[in-house]
Amino acid sequence: MGTQIKDVVIKSDAPNTLFLDKHADYIAAYGSKKDDYEYTLSEYLRMSGIYWGLTVMDLMGQLHRMNREEIVDFIKSCQHDCGGISASIGHDPHLLYTLSAVQILTLYDNVKAIDVDKVVDYVRGLQQEDGSFAGDKWGEIDTRFSFCAVATLALLGRLDAVDVEKAVEFVLSCMNFDGGFGCRPGSESHAGQIYCCTGFLSITGQLHQVNADLLGWWLCERQLPSGGLNGRPEKLPDVCYSWWVLAALKIIGRIHWIDKAKLRNFILACQDEETGGFADRPGDMVDPFHTLFGVAGLSLMGDEQIKPVNPVFCMPEDVLQRIGLQPDLLI
Amino acid sequence: MAESEEEVDVLVQRVVKDITNAFKRNPNIDEIGLILCPEARYNRSPIVLEENKLGVESWCVKFLLPYVHNKLLLYRQRKQWLDREALVDITCTLLLLNPDFTTAWNVRKELLQCGVLNPEKDLYLGKLALTKYPKSPETWIHRRWVLQRLQKQCSSGFGQKEQQAQVEAQGEAERSRQSEQLQRALQEEMKVCTEAAGRYPSNYNAWSHRIWVLQHMAKGNLKILHDELSSTRLWVSMHVSDHSGFHYRQFLLKALLGELGQSWEKLQTGNLHLPPHPPTDSHQIPHTNGEGTAGAVEDPHSAIPQLFHEEMELCTDLIESYPGHETLWCHRRHVFYLWHHWRKHSPAAGAQSLVLTHTAALLNETSDPHEEGRSLQAMDVDCVPDSNKHGGYTQDTKRLKRGPVPPCPGLSSEHVFVSRILSSCRSPEQGRFANAYRKWLDSVIRQ
Repeated sequence: MGTQIKDVVIKSDAPNTLFLDKHADYIAAYGSKKDDYEYTLSEYLRMSGIYWGLTVMDLMGQLHRMNREEIVDFIKSCQHDCGGISASIGHDPHLLYTLSAVQILTLYDNVKAIDVDKVVDYVRGLQQEDGSFAGDKWGEIDTRFSFCAVATLALLGRLDAVDVEKAVEFVLSCMNFDGGFGCRPGSESHAGQIYCCTGFLSITGQLHQVNADLLGWWLCERQLPSGGLNGRPEKLPDVCYSWWVLAALKIIGRIHWIDKAKLRNFILACQDEETGGFADRPGDMVDPFHTLFGVAGLSLMGDEQIKPVNPVFCMPEDVLQRIGLQPDLLI
Repeated sequence: MAESEEEVDVLVQRVVKDITNAFKRNPNIDEIGLILCPEARYNRSPIVLEENKLGVESWCVKFLLPYVHNKLLLYRQRKQWLDREALVDITCTLLLLNPDFTTAWNVRKELLQCGVLNPEKDLYLGKLALTKYPKSPETWIHRRWVLQRLQKQCSSGFGQKEQQAQVEAQGEAERSRQSEQLQRALQEEMKVCTEAAGRYPSNYNAWSHRIWVLQHMAKGNLKILHDELSSTRLWVSMHVSDHSGFHYRQFLLKALLGELGQSWEKLQTGNLHLPPHPPTDSHQIPHTNGEGTAGAVEDPHSAIPQLFHEEMELCTDLIESYPGHETLWCHRRHVFYLWHHWRKHSPAAGAQSLVLTHTAALLNETSDPHEEGRSLQAMDVDCVPDSNKHGGYTQDTKRLKRGPVPPCPGLSSEHVFVSRILSSCRSPEQGRFANAYRKWLDSVIRQ
């Protein structure tokens, strides 16, 4: 009879309305538990954690509840002599957290708080001969870092600082027969990497190089009967993959190819009615990461209680308009 | 139970020491884990060593982790001095509890650079961390850095020896010692990847690491590609939902296509050198004699169709035995795509494609799908049209006569396969995947 398909069942009593107030309370309270064991455990990615929290607050129109001054000071103290920014104080700088920091400062319209020229030098210094980007001085290569590099520079209005042509060449060398992208040439297609690569091609104005129908096909096959999306064949659905797949579909102009009502239903079911916040799947523990991607996904599908989100930068559209940034999207 | 800051300090220092001692006492520890135990038991260390398993009682982690975490960060901010030995111990404890703590791996990279740690030891720590956290991206990233370093050390060793032109025998001995070291590291990497793949399904990081290892440490090594293809066959058959495992085989097939095609081109132009790689590639793992070298002159006319024939057969067998697995149908798409593409574009496929076009022409005249299958089986290499018309490679016919080319899939035989599955299938999922495959053949392949 075949094996049962890997998916979740959404219970009839699962949440089906959006609890925005609860989510705002959850995020506002999250940063106050700094002595928590869990908080220590996730310190290595703190800067991204702050970006997730602030972005979802901004999308919900609640950014004013966060401590702007404290956060800006924190970011300043995470910039290193090399120009790169670390996840937290005492950690080593990395492109991942450099992008998060620049995103946060863009939300706050305050990129001047850090030494922008040094950030640009840092990013430029990480580009390799083949156009790829290392994540930090130790040299790991990944298409995620190509995205981080051009996204950081685009937000700073300095995309000209690197060899864009070479960078595009490298990302395209990671394209697979199914239209998707992996972390390096020859690697398996993965929804998270596809988000990064389509976002990269959008920022660099190269979306015409994507086979949108073929890639759109693969992305749509990520939708499961529960409505949720997975990131690769036979994986469980997950709110964060729902965002990455959805955002990639939006970027390549194929978002209408999936069943939005069912996806909305799945995302809503991942809320925790009591504590606020979203989990990866219905009934699991909530966290700020899935909370951002849950809310952003709903926004991308047109929920009017939430500010419109930009699919490439995962930031509110009005923030990008303010700095005059409009990445390409296919129609 | 420790409560005050001072007590915690004493407790934690003792635990870090216990961990270090456990490794000294038993260098063969092969797995780490957390022992669920909410309360401390009187006067007993929370570090438990049973056979080759190292366990940490869960009650102590909430003291232990923040302590080693803060200690390392204070050191990183130059607010507290730690000697090298303490750094080794602290990063070890920290990484076994939280292997995605990038900065701790970076501290170890620095210790490796100044010779305090050796690469094997560090790879061993990573291997242990992966037994509990098989996905940990930072652990895999660190491994790649260590392996690259190991490789550079070996190749620069070669270089110096060559330049100095010292006693030949000594140089040779050193060279072979280093190449053995790299061989061992490669074999060990494959084992670590298999283990991590077994611990977490569709482990993207483990499988993409394995690809990286082939690309960086065994480039162009036909023997290793063949070995990998045969050694993962059973594994994927037992993990039919693991798309990452199947993708690895797709990668191997594609790499083999490239390598076999290349050696064919060299053969044709008379540029094939044996051994297949010039000495500048000496930091690569040298090709072992026998199969590796012989592989370089494998005849792509029969070797490539044979590979595809076997992979498609495996895929058919698995689809029929385990209905309703998306992974298997994705695999079929990719393998068929590779085959189709090779037949269309590779110069080595020239003679082969003539055979197949000829056969396909015959096939198109028959309307009964069962007839098609029979014609395909009956295909005979000796019916190949005049090979002089095709590039004038005089050995074509001789090579083709070596043995019958196995029946390889064409568009029509794939349609036959889909119809057969649909007519006998009782799983709605299987039906859905079969229909999607048919649609894919029609819209992607036919283009």
